[in-house]
Amino acid sequence: MPDIFSTYELTYLVNAVLSEDQARQLADRYSKYIEENGGQILQSEFWGSRRLAYPLSKKRNAFYFNVFFQAPGRLIGRLERALEIEDEVLRYLTLRLDPKMLRHFEKNRDAATKVRGDSELPVGRDD
Amino acid sequence: MAPPRNNNRGNARSNADVLLPPESRPDVRDVTYVDYKDVDFLKRFLNEQGMVLPRRVTGVPAAIQRQLTRAIKRARHLALLPYAADTVR
Repeated sequence: MPDIFSTYELTYLVNAVLSEDQARQLADRYSKYIEENGGQILQSEFWGSRRLAYPLSKKRNAFYFNVFFQAPGRLIGRLERALEIEDEVLRYLTLRLDPKMLRHFEKNRDAATKVRGDSELPVGRDD
Repeated sequence: MAPPRNNNRGNARSNADVLLPPESRPDVRDVTYVDYKDVDFLKRFLNEQGMVLPRRVTGVPAAIQRQLTRAIKRARHLALLPYAADTVR
């Protein structure tokens, strides 16, 4: 049976005790994991270190990563399991994009390629 | 003479519970999808304590209000918004 591919959005918080390089390496590992298991990264953003709205395991800041990707559905459970086990990942959220969210994502992406360096939330790009 | 009937018993609305004036009501006419990442937008639907404002205050359509509550909950999970803002100063 062929795999059903959906588009997903994953946001996760990495412990800011790590250096930015270490955090990026960790993020690369997950991106690679997605790609090695039949997924395809559509967009990947690094929001930098942000102040948390409330402390998470005694930490006040965290690195935010946001990834849009296509993947077979069976990958998601394994990916979330890996994030759960990872000590440096404080929180994560995976969403499957429904048609409405997909249009929203495409609209934002198109707008982002037109205007660069606006005051929008995402700070840096991590291609 | 019977005292005036209180038709609003147990459901008394405080003065804070009136609809926001039109100029301070967030404009949601162009909204098709409420994004949990848009923290500044979501903040307009919270009070100082971080509680979600009711629809009778924000005046947004029901479909949007449902999306708002979901988006706010997602943002809270990712510590983008507080579950309860610090009230003690």
